[in-house]
Amino acid sequence: MQDSMPGTKSETFALEAVNVGKSFTQDGLAAQALKGVSLRVGAGEFVSIVGRSGSGKSTLLSILSTLLKPDSGQLFYNGNDLAAASEAEINALRHGDFAVIFQFHYLLPYLTALENTLLPFMRGLKPVTRAQKTRGLQCLERVGLADKAHRLPGQLSGGEQQRVAIARALVKEARILFADEPTGSLDSVTGSTVMELLGQIHKDGLSVVMVTHNEEYAKLSDRMVRMEDGLIV
Amino acid sequence: MNILTIALRNARKKWVRTSLLLLVFSLGVVSIVALSFVSRVVGEGLEKKLVSFGANILVSPKSEKLTVSYGGFALGDMLFDVNYLDEADTVAKIDTIELRKNVSVIAPKLVVMDHVQGAAVAIVGVWFEQEKQLKGYWLVEQGAIPGETPEQAAARAAMAPEPEHEAAMPAALPQPPAKAEAKVAAHAPAGADGLLAGSAAASKLGLSVGSAVPLGQHTFVVAGILAPTGSEDDNVLLADMDALQRASGHPGKVNFVEVAALCSACPIDDIVAQLATVLPGTEIKTLRGIVEQRRVSVHFVKKLILSVSLVILLTGCSMVGISMLSAVNERKKEIGILRSLGFSRRSVFAIFCAEAAVVGLLAGVAGYVAGYFVSFRILAVLEVEGGGPLPFEPLHLVATALVLALLTSLASLFPAWKAASVEPSEALVTL
Repeated sequence: MQDSMPGTKSETFALEAVNVGKSFTQDGLAAQALKGVSLRVGAGEFVSIVGRSGSGKSTLLSILSTLLKPDSGQLFYNGNDLAAASEAEINALRHGDFAVIFQFHYLLPYLTALENTLLPFMRGLKPVTRAQKTRGLQCLERVGLADKAHRLPGQLSGGEQQRVAIARALVKEARILFADEPTGSLDSVTGSTVMELLGQIHKDGLSVVMVTHNEEYAKLSDRMVRMEDGLIV
Repeated sequence: MNILTIALRNARKKWVRTSLLLLVFSLGVVSIVALSFVSRVVGEGLEKKLVSFGANILVSPKSEKLTVSYGGFALGDMLFDVNYLDEADTVAKIDTIELRKNVSVIAPKLVVMDHVQGAAVAIVGVWFEQEKQLKGYWLVEQGAIPGETPEQAAARAAMAPEPEHEAAMPAALPQPPAKAEAKVAAHAPAGADGLLAGSAAASKLGLSVGSAVPLGQHTFVVAGILAPTGSEDDNVLLADMDALQRASGHPGKVNFVEVAALCSACPIDDIVAQLATVLPGTEIKTLRGIVEQRRVSVHFVKKLILSVSLVILLTGCSMVGISMLSAVNERKKEIGILRSLGFSRRSVFAIFCAEAAVVGLLAGVAGYVAGYFVSFRILAVLEVEGGGPLPFEPLHLVATALVLALLTSLASLFPAWKAASVEPSEALVTL
């Protein structure tokens, strides 16, 4: 691990969705959110998914990040079909290789910025080690919040809270960061700061899959995927 | 920092909810602990009072008795044969039973009929030391108990129960005079020739301290007169066993033996069975009324406490369950984040159970300590005389805290299961 690049692994991998379909039922009516979508994300790639509301981009991101199971199709990670993976294997992926940030930061309000950052290490009775704590501080430093490590989320601005969420994603040395509208709840200046941070993290070696409706931000990525009515167009 | 940090920090953050739960559970534990202490003291006190009313097992020789009546007119019992027990042998055999530790007093009795000033009266031979243990309610109106020095008599009078504390005495019993009124003779006749006269017997026979009562070649002297007791003791004269055996020509013989067993916890039937085994030629009767009264009184209080405790605990558990269930709905997004970070369902389940367990643990400790002190206040308000000082038992404190932690954890099982069932996509993703 390099001090300048906390949260990244340089090994190669591939995440691939093949002909994925997903439908939801609302008020008795079935709506097909994804109609057989295929997408491959390689190591070190920055892919942005754009589209209008209801186009299926967040559904696709949720399936790619294992937060949602597809109704049809397959999801491969390093050649393994995640649809057939056990819950323990999925938990291990979520804890290890995959990291997700959302439009809203979803920090635990009763934990400090540092404790929120270290949350992935608090899964069991084993206490957080000194090394993990040091790493948490490095990640907060990486997102420019080292001086606010002991503040509660309520004492931070919206942009700072989102950066804590990014630090939480970095702390566990994930391979892919899934970002679902990461600037959606921020003003344009703070949003640009967060995007700048994501860009730097990507340059440090982390793969990023981002859903956004802001095409300006999408242009910062290596590849832009546009969705419409549950299909990639 | 570990998974418990999440549970503890949330409990601290939601301090109003946590405090309310703690309050409810602590109050429950206070009630249970205080009532438990009070019931223990009341039970022990009751036991002492009941034991002081006399023996509850009667050992007598087997005799053939025929009840004669004709036309509804009772002619009394015809006793064909009067048997005696060998005193030393009987007492020695009673001493050998396995449950001897549950026997508090062994009091042999010899009954001899005599005529005093033309009136028939029973003289009962007793060992006064044992008899005093059995008849804790005795108050000597005049003179002293034979064999007592004036100092012992004064000390016993000082130890006698105050009338206002005799709540457990049967209503039929006449109230004894206050101890201040008990007269103790400065130089009462003492020793083997002394007689203790029951109040009714003394009145009927015109006896006073110093009166002579001849029996065969022997002359007894009245050493003291009992205050009315409401029992058979009022109608008899009580003499030293050894002196009466010699005077009546029945050395070493007794008519029956009274045995007082401590029976709130002991198995009275087992004691009777063991006595029957070692004393095959005897009749052993249990004075059921007293025994049952002891059992019912003590067990009623305990059952009442148990019922109240169960209601309180169930109420507290329901509150924990409802509160945790509402917390699960409030914290769905938090659960979603934890699941998205790789927390297993088991970990989420553990967080909610741990939160409930912390409440139970704290309530157990606070409730036990508070309950201990509250019990003193309750005992003071109820003016209950205890069976000794209340012991503060750290092991009970730990056990109470652990049981409460277990109960609150059990109460939170359903909410915790609901929390563990939350899917991250359902909680976090706006599709």
